[in-house]
Amino acid sequence: MTIADRPGTDARRRDKGATGSAGRLGVAVGSAMLAAMLLAGVLVPWLSPWHPNELVTRPLRPPSMEFLFGTDQLGRDVFTRVFAAVYRDLGVAFLGVAIPAIIGTGIGVLLGVSRNRVLVAVMNSIIDAINALPLLVIAIALIAVFGPGLVSIVIVLAMTNWARYARIARTRAVLVNQQGYIEAARLQGYPAWRIFVRHFLPNVSSETMAYALSDFILVIMLVSGLSFLTLGATPPTAEWGAMMSEGRPFVQQAWWMTIFPGLALCWAGISVSFIAEGLSRRERAL
Amino acid sequence: MSSAAIDPREDASPGRNLAGRVLWRAVRALAVSFWVMVIAFGLIRLAPGDPVLARLGAEADPAAIERMRRALRLDVDPATQFVEYFFGLLRGDLGRSLENGRDVMDLIAQSLPVTLWIIAVTVVLGLLIATPLALVVALTRRPWAPYVFRAATATFLAVPAFFTALIGLIVFGLHWRVAPIIGYEPGFPANLKYLWLPALVICTTLVPVLARVLYASIVETMGEEFVETGIIRGVSRPRWYWFYLLKPSLAPTVVLLSYMIGVMIGSTVIIETIFSLPGIGRNLVGAVIGRDYPVVQGIVLCFGLFVVIVGLIGDLVANWLDPRVDLA
Repeated sequence: MTIADRPGTDARRRDKGATGSAGRLGVAVGSAMLAAMLLAGVLVPWLSPWHPNELVTRPLRPPSMEFLFGTDQLGRDVFTRVFAAVYRDLGVAFLGVAIPAIIGTGIGVLLGVSRNRVLVAVMNSIIDAINALPLLVIAIALIAVFGPGLVSIVIVLAMTNWARYARIARTRAVLVNQQGYIEAARLQGYPAWRIFVRHFLPNVSSETMAYALSDFILVIMLVSGLSFLTLGATPPTAEWGAMMSEGRPFVQQAWWMTIFPGLALCWAGISVSFIAEGLSRRERAL
Repeated sequence: MSSAAIDPREDASPGRNLAGRVLWRAVRALAVSFWVMVIAFGLIRLAPGDPVLARLGAEADPAAIERMRRALRLDVDPATQFVEYFFGLLRGDLGRSLENGRDVMDLIAQSLPVTLWIIAVTVVLGLLIATPLALVVALTRRPWAPYVFRAATATFLAVPAFFTALIGLIVFGLHWRVAPIIGYEPGFPANLKYLWLPALVICTTLVPVLARVLYASIVETMGEEFVETGIIRGVSRPRWYWFYLLKPSLAPTVVLLSYMIGVMIGSTVIIETIFSLPGIGRNLVGAVIGRDYPVVQGIVLCFGLFVVIVGLIGDLVANWLDPRVDLA
């Protein structure tokens, strides 16, 4: 974060001029990709003749017109399963970003405004310590405590990922706190909660939201990565990481079992990545 | 770092001289290490319900439950536990594995070098790819280059390393048979045979980040007057590239790299599992599946301290490369 904050580390000079249209293109392509995936996530399981967990034919059949992505080791249709997982994967990732973002922004603003130096110093080093531990490592460790499962992943993310948002929000809140409009709001005698909701949150959250978008990509990978390590979704749940993990022993005979869920995962990640990229360019063009 | 610079309350860094700032940065690293230790300690005590019952099952023999409780030292009050844990750490005692009674310190000492080798090879490979790439994109006059660069890096950033690893395994390991798909041999350079593919795989996520920051700071540096001064003074090309262009541009990359090493530790956990490398990350996954709490606790602490130390070194190196970088 601190590097991105440094004024001038973006390639402003070079990008000036045509930035706007390229940014819009990025957002458009990314949104279209994401929308297509969300639509397929509704349509495919609905139109598919099979249930995602149904054993429909002989195991390990290669992709064909009937089974577009082939079948897995139990004879389930990989095509149906890949798209049945869309809302599970993206939904868990969404919660894993939204909950920490809300908690972290709140705590960060309070720390940025607080005059209690001891509390701020202690909280800062706790935040630094949580951020010092790689997210995947601390998530894996906490899974040891809560047990594997998608619900555990959301809990674990809520417990750890907030610290990254808190750090961004705190830095920003300190700046906002020095602005004239906060002073004006205080002098007008507005209650603290109103200043917090109406003046701090909108000005701080623009910053944390920008981070949330790139964080979403990381969390999508984290959710499927944990499932890949058999620490997330448990069989027979259709989930990309879990499907890739199930396909791994068959990677030589049945590449389609791992490649198609993996491509779906990449598609989701790349669509969000393009949106994030496009939006950050647009901001710069302004 | 910049966040501290704008925060008036953190401007209390004692002394403007270099030694004072280095010391101050080290004290902060120590404070963070302390909290990392507290988190590692708190992990299993934080569990809702009883961690012993979670491991043994509710119908376990009461005597066995009592024995494990004693082995984990959960039978005394938390304050005593923490003091024992703390002094154990000072003696280098991290407890014993519940699974096989192995000393956790031994386990870490044995598997950490493998992980460090993966990271070292990845960082070298990453810098070797990212630096020329960033230089070429920054110095070329073709107008589309930055756009292609951004789109390509945005794409690679979103591809998870474990997917790349599986593709690498299929293509290089099974199809072309140029990389071993299992096993490890300690000792340089014999280990490179097993490490080049895992390192290359992690590079697919590391290089985009590095190249981006490096590109941005090279473009930034090119706007500085001293770069033109260098050309006007007629310094030799290699000298100009290093002293006038790269060295001042590397500082943000080094800070980022020290941060990325922390992120990479996360990827090594998955990569070691896929390539069956006997590193510390694979031990962590095994310990979590077996609910081997002392091992989990020890490895988390080890990773945390490693990241703190790397962050400290990164900031110091960045300050040497570009003294304008703030150490506080």
